[in-house]
Amino acid sequence: MNPELPETAIDFGAAAERAFTDAGGVDLARRAEAEPDLRARVVTPLLDQLGALDLSVADDLDTALAGGELCRVAGRCALPYPVIAVLASGTHDRLPAALVDPVVPRADHGDLFTRWRLAAIDGAVWEGRPEGPPLGTELGPFVVDMAASGTDDLEPVDVPMLLTLTAWQTLGTLERALELAVEHVNTRHQFGGPLARFQAVQFQIADATVAVQSLRELARFTLWRLWVAPLERLVDALALRAQALESAQAVLRTCHQLHGAVGFCDEHDLSILSRHAQPLLRLAAGLEATTEQLMAAIDHTGFDSLFDAGATARAAHNA
Amino acid sequence: MDYELGEQADRLRLRLRQMVEEHLPEGFLGAFTDDPEDLAITQRFCKLLAAEGLLAKAWPREYGGGGSTVWEQTVVREEMWAHHEPRGPQYMGINWVGPAIMRFGTPEQQALHLPAIAAGDVIWCQGFSEPDAGSDLASLTTRAVPDGSGGWRITGQKVWTSYALMAQWCILAARTSVEAAKHEGITMFLVPMESQGITVRPIPNLLGPHHLNELFLDEVSVGPDDVLGPVDGGWSVIREALKFERIGIARYARCDRLLTLLREALGERWAELPAALRARWTRARVHTRAAMVLAYRVVDAQARGIVEDGDASGARVAATLCDQEVAEVLLEALAAQAVDDGRTRHPVLHGAIEDHWRYAQAATVASGTIEIQRMLVARAALAGEIR
Repeated sequence: MNPELPETAIDFGAAAERAFTDAGGVDLARRAEAEPDLRARVVTPLLDQLGALDLSVADDLDTALAGGELCRVAGRCALPYPVIAVLASGTHDRLPAALVDPVVPRADHGDLFTRWRLAAIDGAVWEGRPEGPPLGTELGPFVVDMAASGTDDLEPVDVPMLLTLTAWQTLGTLERALELAVEHVNTRHQFGGPLARFQAVQFQIADATVAVQSLRELARFTLWRLWVAPLERLVDALALRAQALESAQAVLRTCHQLHGAVGFCDEHDLSILSRHAQPLLRLAAGLEATTEQLMAAIDHTGFDSLFDAGATARAAHNA
Repeated sequence: MDYELGEQADRLRLRLRQMVEEHLPEGFLGAFTDDPEDLAITQRFCKLLAAEGLLAKAWPREYGGGGSTVWEQTVVREEMWAHHEPRGPQYMGINWVGPAIMRFGTPEQQALHLPAIAAGDVIWCQGFSEPDAGSDLASLTTRAVPDGSGGWRITGQKVWTSYALMAQWCILAARTSVEAAKHEGITMFLVPMESQGITVRPIPNLLGPHHLNELFLDEVSVGPDDVLGPVDGGWSVIREALKFERIGIARYARCDRLLTLLREALGERWAELPAALRARWTRARVHTRAAMVLAYRVVDAQARGIVEDGDASGARVAATLCDQEVAEVLLEALAAQAVDDGRTRHPVLHGAIEDHWRYAQAATVASGTIEIQRMLVARAALAGEIR
């Protein structure tokens, strides 16, 4: 038993975070809203230098954990780039992959590539092409409508990996949002002292902290499970997504509340983090839809736990 | 990175489940009932565990323990709690009274108490809380005054004292100095429950029999050898002792077992439950898994000697809230059968869900309220000590 990340993943994440910070951190996202081409001009070379564009998360657990760390630190600064889509790109065709709602196929940063592999959570795959420029809305600044067409020659999409990395990126965003909230309540003085001295504030910080800690541990556990329990990859990844979405609702709400009005201003990082996280949280399936998918997956493969042997354990036992 | 607990731990889990299967009657819901046979079952079970070296498995070998890994200890906590704690009230002696005596006891105290605890021969209760000293335990006013011949006379009132009617010994905190600051005038005593001047009054309550009692002490006489640790130094004993309990009960294990069993027990009725309730069940399973891995993180930190108050408290907040969420989901799934207990006709899962719901009400109160846990988490988070 060892819940610690390998050094290689920690080092890779730290190097990526330094690079993103040196390049402007959240300012990259802020600037990209005004100049969308900054994504290809600045962020692509940045990732290339890190070796992130060649990281093959399908290879082994340690590489996948490095990918997870990359997603987490990308989430910490709302990096304006489809990092997950690139990490999950096909082994042969190298096409980026995204999870979509088949009824309204949309991809975050869909305009950065001409061809995509789009997948529904049930594993159905389409070829996708961007239908226009990013929507440029508050909650979906880089969301692009996609034209999805059926085709036979696409590589399958690793849906559980996409779901899992999405949770890692969400984790990064929540971590950073909570750090900002802690900083704010420690330094913002009202009624003659810092907000942090009020117990009503402390309890909100405590609950958000526990939510982030829980998500972090579950994210690590789930990535490990993708390797050791091949028959339950989808059920495990959906469970993680459900936890991530629930935590995101609670933690971002708390962080906004504790910041007061300043947290809604785009000059504050919280507003950017909160807005730019929405495509990750909404596009493929929200919390209730994810829970429904999870329920179906549990019906199908079980949910491995102390008292419920999942499909992988049952298969091993029968063998 | 690896979340397997290891072969030794896996083997231990199997053995414990075999013992549960063989020696606990179907529908066993723990020692704390009106039926004395339930206590007798736990006493026999403790003997069986002790015979295989499993009762005090977590203890160092020099004190009669098995020198087990923290992960084996985790397995014991999980399996015992999941199966309604077949060690009965004796888990407390094993989990922290014994370790506190190892740390602070004299050789004579160790020789007297540790073998008895390790053999499952003795039940301890804990005299901490008082009517005016709950979360603010250091405000306790039960007084111990020197009797002139080296011993002490203790007078006061304790409350919420679990298992007081079952126990042979009480580990009791009393004030020995009124001049000192409130944390500095407390001393710990090891008091035989048969001592003259002790009266126990059970308090009828929602949790069930034996969980809550009042303990009155009227000039209870104890000898100089019954002081645990330094006179006026009891607060450090309490703090150290509670460290053994920081990880707390493996509540997620019973949650997991009951969530799993419920679905089997309902059979075809499962599909007829409201979809919203099945969704809550689904999310409760995820929360249970999250509470487990968060607890594992704390166990791992403890094994590495780097566990902080904030981390342990965070895991407790997650586990206790999960316990109450699961209790509500399970009870709601029973609909009109929610009010059945182990004594009514054909209760679902022998009344285990009703029992769990009642006990879960105390999850955020017992062993340090959730408010205290949140304060500890917040303090650490605001100081930048945890993220």
